[in-house]
Amino acid sequence: MIGLCVFMAILMFGIIGPMVTRNPLEKDPVGRGYLPPSWEYPLGTNIFGEDLFAQLCTGTRNSMIVGGITGIVGTLIAVIAGSIGPYKGGLADGISNFVTNVIIVFPTLPLLIVLAAVLQQRSLLLVALLIGVTNWPWAARSIRSQVLSLKEREYVDMARMSGMSDRKVAIVEILPNMLAYTLMVFVIMFGIGVVAEAGISMLGVGPNPGTNVTLGTMLYWARMLPHVGAAWWLTWWWFIPPGVMVAAVTTSIFVMHSGMDEVFNPKLRKV
Amino acid sequence: MEKTKKRGIIGVIIGFLVLLLFLPFSPSDTSSQLSFVLLIVAIEALIIELSILAPVLAPIWKKTVGRLRFLNHPFVRFVAKKAAFYLIVTFIALSFIFLIPRLMPGNPIDYMFGTTATGVDVQEAKRRLEAFYGFSKPLLEQYVNFWGQLLRGDLGQSFVVMRGRAVSTIIMDRLPFTLVLVVPVLIISFFLGNWIGARAGYLKSKRSDIVYFAAVFANRMPSFWLVMVLAFLFAGVLGILPAYGWYDPGLIPGWNFMFFLNVLQHYFLPFIALLVVWTGAWSSGMRSMIIYETNSGYMSYGQQLGFRKKKLMSYANRNAILPQFTGLNMIFNSLIGETLIIEAVLGWPGIGLLSFDSITSRDYPVILGAFLVIMVVVILGNFLIDILYGIIDPRIRTGRGG
Repeated sequence: MIGLCVFMAILMFGIIGPMVTRNPLEKDPVGRGYLPPSWEYPLGTNIFGEDLFAQLCTGTRNSMIVGGITGIVGTLIAVIAGSIGPYKGGLADGISNFVTNVIIVFPTLPLLIVLAAVLQQRSLLLVALLIGVTNWPWAARSIRSQVLSLKEREYVDMARMSGMSDRKVAIVEILPNMLAYTLMVFVIMFGIGVVAEAGISMLGVGPNPGTNVTLGTMLYWARMLPHVGAAWWLTWWWFIPPGVMVAAVTTSIFVMHSGMDEVFNPKLRKV
Repeated sequence: MEKTKKRGIIGVIIGFLVLLLFLPFSPSDTSSQLSFVLLIVAIEALIIELSILAPVLAPIWKKTVGRLRFLNHPFVRFVAKKAAFYLIVTFIALSFIFLIPRLMPGNPIDYMFGTTATGVDVQEAKRRLEAFYGFSKPLLEQYVNFWGQLLRGDLGQSFVVMRGRAVSTIIMDRLPFTLVLVVPVLIISFFLGNWIGARAGYLKSKRSDIVYFAAVFANRMPSFWLVMVLAFLFAGVLGILPAYGWYDPGLIPGWNFMFFLNVLQHYFLPFIALLVVWTGAWSSGMRSMIIYETNSGYMSYGQQLGFRKKKLMSYANRNAILPQFTGLNMIFNSLIGETLIIEAVLGWPGIGLLSFDSITSRDYPVILGAFLVIMVVVILGNFLIDILYGIIDPRIRTGRGG
């Protein structure tokens, strides 16, 4: 519950924040460069004198967009790949299993880096798609095992015995029970999207850092811009807030996840 | 009779496919064309023969294999199976490296020059490079050449980062720096994280719980950000640790104590950041496994017999740690990814910094080379982890259960 509240709070921050602050892509600076946090600029300014609070708001929103798209794409592929095997069986099962196994040992982050490096124009959408396409196998695997365990339940047997067709069993009996689980997969995928975006942005291959503001590109600029007269690790007000934001997203998701885990695995509840 | 006919037809089809495969490489001069045709006909004949003779040859093959006793050993079979799987994965991964630059919009040559360079000289340079790399040749021929180069260990030359040096030597210089971060972190975090998780699951005391939750929440932080915060604390506020490079610019690299100490100082930040973040990755799984084990019959039996807590814990640990080994694969993969990013942040000269430099300077051969070596390392690591799991768990090794 706490996790959900924090998550919603961040989501609201990402939605409302950009409305009340000015668009950080309008390049004209608001004040002097390198101002530490003050009442006027809650998070200080960067080297160009841009308001970092405004950047954080827009960055949060954009990272949320990336996370959302990643979640949708990844969950979709995972559900298809994870449920087609148990549903069809035979060759389809073998193929989907093999593909999942191959991609699970595939180094996804380097693949992501290379794909993003050779593509020069990278929008938020593109980066999110790439992350989603490379990060689904673990989810497919857990969905598969969940479907397999659901298939063995008695009420499914009952439904089958009473003459329901396979497709109807899948839709009426199994799918509703999968919904909560799929939602969990989506939320975790969301977190993966946010973190992966920040990660590949640090290497300069996230969404184009010149025209997009995300939490990742904020970290990138905080590290990479030439700091006049000071080392990059001294401007703490520049790189700490975006990281706190990312960590807050992942932590709230983790708390939500363990809360839902207790629902799925009652054994953990006895603690 | 019917079967033999069928096999013959399949043989002819396979032979035809092989013929197609060889077609792009037919030599242009007439003198060698004859020998080329003869060679292909010989291969064709061999394939058709084999396909027809398969039922005759099969028992002979089985007999010879059967005589080699060790091949029937379950562990050898297990390793062979795994090796075959990872060979396929390697093949797919390396084919990806071939395909990525060729399927992407635009030409790799254009990519290297960027959009700013124009003029007659640039056009000429582009043309020569294109001829050098043979991007205009048929795709299949390029593919075969690509494999030939790979097998010779030739990855091309660097353009920008280290002008003119072979990519393979650059990468071999850099790879140890990455491995020296990844391998110790993986091993130490495995033992530390499992130990923390086991204590939290078994003792349920306040202190073990606090340690456990601290570890798990640390795991939620992106390590490349944590390293920035640590750099701020240790280099910025306290000023006791360096936060860039791998040795102080004033020193001369060599095998002496002072230099070693200096490198160790630079090593500390990335190492600690990775360790703090990845320790927690093991704990939660271990804790729930231990709780699961404590509820099982043999534990309560042991308790009623009055075994000491330590003894009981070691029994539970032995059973609970087994599934943790399956997590090694995935954590190894993510760990390598984060290590690459941390290297770029702190200037630790591993593969990550190399790929960062080559990406910013558009050094195409180096980008692909770095990617290739990371892929090979990850696949090899996964293979070793699987073998290790087979050694530990006899059920996996013999292919029964599990």
